[in-house]
Amino acid sequence: MARRPSPPRSVASSQEVTDEQLDAYIRTRLALAGVDLSVLPEDDEDASADQRRIMASARRFLRSTPGAIADFEFDPMGPAPAIYPAEVSARNHE
Amino acid sequence: MSELNRRRFLERMTALTATAMATPATLGAVSNAASGPGTRSPAATGADGRAVAKRLREPGLPPAGRPQPADLTELTLAEAARLLRDGDVGAVELVEAYLARIGRWEPRYQAFNTVVPRTALEAARTADRTRGRAPLTGVPLAIKDNYFTAGVRTTANSFILEDFVPDFDATSWARLRDAGAILLGKTQMGPLATTAASTPTGERTTVNAWAPYNEDVSPGGSSSGSATAVAARMAASSTGTQTGGSITNPSNAQALTGIKPTMGRVSLHGILPLTYTRDHPGPLARDAVDAALMLQIMAGPDPADPRSLGLPAVPDYLEAVREADGGLRHPERGGAVRIGVLPGFLDEPEPPEDPGPDPDPDIDRIGSSFPRRERTQAAYRREVATVEARRRMLAILDEMGAEIVELDFPTHWEALTSFNFNNVRLPERSEIFLEHLRDDVRKFGVSLAPWINGLLLPAAEYVRGSRARLVLLREILDEVFGHCDLVTQTAPFPFDMVGLPLIGFPIGFETGSTGYPRPIGGMFGAEPYAEHHLLAVIAAYQRATDWHLRRPADPGELRPAERGGGGPGDGSDRRGGRNRSPRRYDLFDVMERGE
Repeated sequence: MARRPSPPRSVASSQEVTDEQLDAYIRTRLALAGVDLSVLPEDDEDASADQRRIMASARRFLRSTPGAIADFEFDPMGPAPAIYPAEVSARNHE
Repeated sequence: MSELNRRRFLERMTALTATAMATPATLGAVSNAASGPGTRSPAATGADGRAVAKRLREPGLPPAGRPQPADLTELTLAEAARLLRDGDVGAVELVEAYLARIGRWEPRYQAFNTVVPRTALEAARTADRTRGRAPLTGVPLAIKDNYFTAGVRTTANSFILEDFVPDFDATSWARLRDAGAILLGKTQMGPLATTAASTPTGERTTVNAWAPYNEDVSPGGSSSGSATAVAARMAASSTGTQTGGSITNPSNAQALTGIKPTMGRVSLHGILPLTYTRDHPGPLARDAVDAALMLQIMAGPDPADPRSLGLPAVPDYLEAVREADGGLRHPERGGAVRIGVLPGFLDEPEPPEDPGPDPDPDIDRIGSSFPRRERTQAAYRREVATVEARRRMLAILDEMGAEIVELDFPTHWEALTSFNFNNVRLPERSEIFLEHLRDDVRKFGVSLAPWINGLLLPAAEYVRGSRARLVLLREILDEVFGHCDLVTQTAPFPFDMVGLPLIGFPIGFETGSTGYPRPIGGMFGAEPYAEHHLLAVIAAYQRATDWHLRRPADPGELRPAERGGGGPGDGSDRRGGRNRSPRRYDLFDVMERGE
């Protein structure tokens, strides 16, 4: 039957981060990148985007994705990164 | 069409009904077209009349039940190309037939961003006058609006490009153009190639050709207009791009055959990027033969896109889809083609629990008018029908001589194909559009959230995610393709992540979810640059089935009960105030409906 590997452990520390801490991180990172969310309405369901929903989406993303990726157990001697895997494979005649 | 030509046309169509279109042979010269670098002109492709005639062979037998075309727009791409070549149909006639359908039905379908009737007719007149011998001479195509088209507005349905007019053609469109194809128009799409087609602010545009009055039936995204244009017979074939299912999903949604080739097989030069490492251009077509013909022309090395260089030679896709004796045999290894089936593919769905009448914000936030309880039951009925269609498909392939192989998932499949690892792509789009993000985030309209999230993924995790894709690819090659040649897929993301080819194709219809026919799609993946294996198997499957031959009824032919209160059916409600509800996709749909 199917082998269904367990999903990687989530990173406990990311679950303990508060909304306020995440908001500070998001706003700081966006400020460093020169991206300004304040031009969006603060909270307007009729708008195509508003600050409340963008921030909520960003918090969900930060609570799940970076931790899950970082927590994937990796062989340190595993593959070097290659951003076009299929091409690498074909060129290596795998 | 003159009376003489009409008579010849009908005679020819009768003959074609009795004998399958010899398209691979007829158009076989095309197979040389894209094999060499920088081959753009018909002369360079070797697709002259003598070469075509030389390769013309006797047609084989047709699949049962091939319908007689009622009008020129019923022709497949390959059929149209052959009739044009033989002078049985004129390019002007064909273009006018498509423009007539666009004029009549486009207000309801909303498949196009831009239609170019004047230049299309000019090109058709030139084609008729010069009697060009290039393989697609006079064939009208629809091109997704993220492909650069010289002199024609290219918006990607985004505020960012709303007035952009490129001064050159995307390489893949240039190859189709040089093969004689005529641009009918640019198709609607999800903004910047995310979600299903909508305006930049998220208002839904394109509808599914099989359900033009029911917005609960997705057209598939993001190549929504490309799919609807072909399914609704407003173009012979179309192009799409796929980063997360955007060719295979709309093909499945609208009973088309769409192929997402391996990364690098088709040049991305001149196509607005969304994710460098995952964008794949490819065709959406009426069947596997048409898909092979389109891909044969689109594929090949392009000095302007290093990703397309140094790869295995482009195979002869048209040869691959030719009918062969001896069942489904692997052309290189010999023996039966082995089709791998991953766990869960045939699992019966669990009957849903009654969700109760109260609205669920997680489900109802997209504003569906379909009552929640009915929607849950409808989804269940569709899942049951889908499993039955899959079972039937495998039985047919088995009967045709394929070997069906039951497989386990690769070791880390579940983790490495998860939502979180799928998100590794996001920083690429943020980098591509960083200047626009810095200028004004409102330019991104409804699509903004993933662009912001992409700015938040640390570099270490991006690198780790990139390494993880190699782990995933290695496991797929060893643990899947070590045991089979093609493999079933139920979602496009895993193969999109590692750049492997996928084909979407129709495997049935169900009526249980909406009360009228809705296509059910299948999807197979293959090893790197094995598109010819995918096309060969699906072409053979389509010779044994007729799902791909079915066409949706015109909106005006739908019974009132099927219209869902959508007006008189002539689509005349678009410009002067639509009757359709102004419901919009929201921020969350952008993450969930393909790109």
